[in-house]
Amino acid sequence: MSTNIPANLKYTKEHEWALVEGDTITVGITDFAQSALGDIVFLEVPDVGSELKLGSTFGVVESIKSVSDLYAPATGEVVAKNTDLEGSPEKINSDAYGSWLIKVKVKDKTELTNLLTAEQYQEFCNTSH
Amino acid sequence: MSALLRTSLFDEHVRLSGKMVPFAGWEMPVQYTSVKDESIAVRNHVGVFDVSHMGEFFLEGKDAEAFADYLVTNDIMGAPTGKAIYSPLCREDGTVVDDLIVYKLSPGKVLICVNASNIQKDFEWMKSKHQGFQCTFTNKSDDYSLLALQGPKSYPILKSLLKELPEIEYYSVFETQLGSEAVIVARTGYTGEDGFEIFGSHNAIKSLWASFMTAGVVPCGLASRDVLRLEVCYPLYGHELNDEVNPYDAGLGWTVKGSKTKFIGKDALSTKPAKFKLVKLTLDKGIPREGYPVVNAAQEVIGVVTSGTMSVTTGKGIAFARIELSKVPKDENYQIDIRHKYYPATQVKQPFVTGGHK
Repeated sequence: MSTNIPANLKYTKEHEWALVEGDTITVGITDFAQSALGDIVFLEVPDVGSELKLGSTFGVVESIKSVSDLYAPATGEVVAKNTDLEGSPEKINSDAYGSWLIKVKVKDKTELTNLLTAEQYQEFCNTSH
Repeated sequence: MSALLRTSLFDEHVRLSGKMVPFAGWEMPVQYTSVKDESIAVRNHVGVFDVSHMGEFFLEGKDAEAFADYLVTNDIMGAPTGKAIYSPLCREDGTVVDDLIVYKLSPGKVLICVNASNIQKDFEWMKSKHQGFQCTFTNKSDDYSLLALQGPKSYPILKSLLKELPEIEYYSVFETQLGSEAVIVARTGYTGEDGFEIFGSHNAIKSLWASFMTAGVVPCGLASRDVLRLEVCYPLYGHELNDEVNPYDAGLGWTVKGSKTKFIGKDALSTKPAKFKLVKLTLDKGIPREGYPVVNAAQEVIGVVTSGTMSVTTGKGIAFARIELSKVPKDENYQIDIRHKYYPATQVKQPFVTGGHK
């Protein structure tokens, strides 16, 4: 079981991480998620300018054998997309926290209070699997 | 829900950090390290799969071959002793109960290996057809464990462990000893590579597994097995085959031997009654998955993906798709609906990957 859960990040129950900086969040999937998925071979995330709605699917990550939806951790606009992952999504497997997917300018910062702390996410991983 | 069954190697899978998942009523390893690495090991070196969940039925007596021949569509009587024969098992109306391998062990002794998910259904079906044949018919699935050693290095590895390993041809079988234990060794598999399937007692197979681990054989899970079989275009029951389709719907017309005097389903299958065409599609972009709709140039739905994955060997999306026969596009323009976007797919006639089996 993976226990790589950096303390400086926030988390969702969909196994995504978010780095909060002012009103912008950087979003990726956790080490637990990449490990559960296995070899990641395909990634689909929205272009810059797209609007995300809290809890709605905004993209997919596919391993050889499975498809997983990505869920928006907050409502807002996509302001950056990690082009380094285009063509080499397997980088997520080797470095889940270094491989961010998108940056989102958050519309309502109070939504972020619902994100889990590292400690809460660790607890969630321990009890839900 | 009844508890999941475990093979004799369950503790080994856990020890090797296998990710255990429910499959056909069994708790099986879906992968150990990575689907990619396990698939590559089988294509280039050697890997081993625990497939002990599969079923073993034995037919013994003077009509053993005749009974098997009557049950299945392929030719059993005409094949020599020592051969393994792949075949569908059909109902009178031609629909497929299961697909299986018939092993002609010795005169009057036949082993039939069936899919784990269909053991009970197959046994009851075959039992209901048994009357009049002078042979016993026994389900020995609980007594046997089964390993599939697959990959180009299979032969030297297995030869070093068995008392004898003649250079038998692909799809052959023989009985031998592993130490003091009797085992059945067949040059068959589900990956397209050279390899062997070894049937034996739980103890014999546990010791064989341990020898394979010592020899550096890579343990492989069900996920890589599925990728490997799809790359070489072997059908899987529950996907390409099911209770509603006949062999012609799944591209298995070659296994229906109309020249045999009688077999179950002969009349219904004599007209080659296909309602579907099973096609092989490959995509440069996008990964096809089971259930995704297949559309034509006008974006009308013409069929569905029955199995799909990213091919480890080709690096592209690959799929089997079941297309309604009347809607097969003459221009071979296929597209797959992936999350409401249409991705062009190219039909291929040969398997996506050519295995190295002999």
